[in-house]
Amino acid sequence: MSQEASLNPAGTAPPVPTHAVPRKTIVMEPPQTGRSPAPDHGPVATPAAAPAPVEKIAIRNLRFYYKNFEALKGINLTLYDKRVTAFIGPSGCGKSTLLRVLNRIYQLYPEQRATGEIIVDGRNILDPKIDLNLLRAKIGMVFQKPTPFPMSIHDNIAFGIKLYEKLPPSELDARIESALRRAALWEEVKDKLKQSGLSLSGGQQQRLCIARAIAVKPEILLLDEPASALDPISTQHIEELIDELKTDYCIVIVTHNMQQAARSSDYTAFMYLGDLIEFDDTEVIFTHPKNKRTEDYITGRFG
Amino acid sequence: MSPYARRRATNSIVLTLSMAATIFGLVWLALILWTLLKNGIGAINVDFFVQMTPPPGSQGGVLNAIYGSLIMTLVATVAGSPVGILAGTFLAEYGRGNPIAPVVRFINDILLSAPSIIIGMFVYELMVVRMGHFSAWAGAAALAMIVIPVVVRTTEDMLSLVPGSLREAAFALGTPKWKVIVMVTYRAAIQGMLTGVLLAVARISGETAPLLFTVINNQFWSTNMNAEMANLPYVIFQFALSPYKDWQSLAWGGALLITVAILVLNITARLLANLKSFAR
Repeated sequence: MSQEASLNPAGTAPPVPTHAVPRKTIVMEPPQTGRSPAPDHGPVATPAAAPAPVEKIAIRNLRFYYKNFEALKGINLTLYDKRVTAFIGPSGCGKSTLLRVLNRIYQLYPEQRATGEIIVDGRNILDPKIDLNLLRAKIGMVFQKPTPFPMSIHDNIAFGIKLYEKLPPSELDARIESALRRAALWEEVKDKLKQSGLSLSGGQQQRLCIARAIAVKPEILLLDEPASALDPISTQHIEELIDELKTDYCIVIVTHNMQQAARSSDYTAFMYLGDLIEFDDTEVIFTHPKNKRTEDYITGRFG
Repeated sequence: MSPYARRRATNSIVLTLSMAATIFGLVWLALILWTLLKNGIGAINVDFFVQMTPPPGSQGGVLNAIYGSLIMTLVATVAGSPVGILAGTFLAEYGRGNPIAPVVRFINDILLSAPSIIIGMFVYELMVVRMGHFSAWAGAAALAMIVIPVVVRTTEDMLSLVPGSLREAAFALGTPKWKVIVMVTYRAAIQGMLTGVLLAVARISGETAPLLFTVINNQFWSTNMNAEMANLPYVIFQFALSPYKDWQSLAWGGALLITVAILVLNITARLLANLKSFAR
C-alpha cells in the first residue's frame, strides 16, 4: 500500500492496520531524561498474544478546572489500544471534559486548565512543551454535532492530510477514497466529491467528519457523543464503523446512550460529579456493577 | 378583563404602534426617493455621463465627478479594508483574554460614530497642511478612515458568528491557528465579510464632509491623485446652492445617481448575506 509509506505527523512509521502488533512508541519530542519511566506496554503485551490489551493512555490524578470550578476531581484511568472505552454518566459529570483533555482541545480557552498527568506512549501530554498540533494530529476527535468545513467533500478530507503530508494528486485521491470507504461513506459520495460537505445529510456529515479524522492516520480516536444528533439508521452506521475501526485505533467514546455503550465498547467508565466511580469491562459494568451509583444509573434510577 | 384578554389588547396596541413607527420612517424615505426621482431623472441623459462639469449657462455632465468619486472610493476601500479585516480578525480570533482587545474595540466604536467632518479636519491637518495643497490622496485617506471602523466591526461580528465547534474541529486535526483562520473561519464567514466591505463602500460613496477639507473640487477632467479632483458629493453641494438652473438640475441628477448606487450596493450586500444563509 503506497499510502503506508508516507510518514505520519510524528515522523515515525504509521500504524499498520489489520495486524495486532503493538505500535512503536511515538515520541513527539526528544524524550526528557529524569522523568520517571511511564507505564510502557505492560508485562502482558506480547506481540503474539493478540487479545491482550495494551495500555495506550494512562491518566494519573487528573484534575480539571473551569476558572475555579473543579470539573474533574483526580481521575485515574487506563485506556487500552485497539479497544473501545465508553465514558458514561449523567450530564455535567465530566465525561466530555475528560475527553477534551485528552487532545488538549480545552486549551483554546484560557480560563480552562488541567493538572496531573496523561501518559500517552510514555510522554506526559499535559507537558506544556508538547507540540499541540502534532499531538492533535495523532489524537483525532469527532464532535457531537457534525462539523464539515465549508468546502467540498474532497477538500474536507484532503485538508487534514495536506497539513502534514505532501502527496501527489493520485495518492491523495487514493487516501481520500480509502478514508471515505472506511467511514462507510464512499458509495454515497463517490460521484459528488466536488460538492459542498454541507450539502450532505446529518448522518453523512458525521461520517464525513469521521473520515476526515481517520484520514490523517491518528492512533487514538476521541468520539464525543458522535451519534446523539443522528437518527437510528445513521447511528447504526456509526456503531458498525466504531466496531470496524477498533482493530486499528484506541477509541474513546462519550455517550448518553447506555445501549450504545453496552453495544460498542469493551470497557466502560462511569463518572459522576467529576469523579470516576467505576471502571471495568463493559460486560461487568452492565451486569454486575460493584458500585451502587453505577447500578442506579445504568438501571435508570437516576440520571 | 381577563389576563388573556389584556394580553391580546396589549399585543394589538403595541403592534399598531410598531407599524405606525415603521410607516412614519418609511414615508420620509419614500418622499426623498420620489423627490429625487422627480427632479433628478430629467438631468440623466448621455451628456450627464460623458461631459465635464460645465460653467454656468452651458450644457455639461458630471463625468469628472463620477470618475473622482469612483477612484477615491476605490483607493479608500483597497487601503482601508485589509486594515479593517486584520483588526477585526485580531478582535474575533485573538482577542479572547487579551487586555488590548476591549480597548481596541472601544476605540473602534468611537471611530465608527465619529462625525465625518472631524475625520476630514484630521486629514487636513495630517496631509493637506503638510503637502501644501488639496489632493485626491488626502480625500481617499479620509474615506479610508471611515472604511476601517465599519470593516473592523462587521469582520469581528461575522467571524464571531462562525460556530466555535467549527474552529475546534479544525484545531482537532492539528491545524495551526493561522490556517484555521484563513482556510476555515474566513471561508465560513466570507460572504458576511464581503457584505461589510460593501456596506463600507456604500457609506463612503455619499460622504461629503471629509472631502470638503481634503480634495475640494475640480471643474476639469483630472486623473492626478496629487491634485484637487472633482467628486459627486462636492459637485452636488456646490451646484445645488448655486442660483443657476442647469447647475441645480445637474445636482439633482448627481444626487439621484449616488442614491441609486448606494441602493444597489446595499441590495447586493443584502443578497450576499442571504446567500450565506442559503448555503447553510
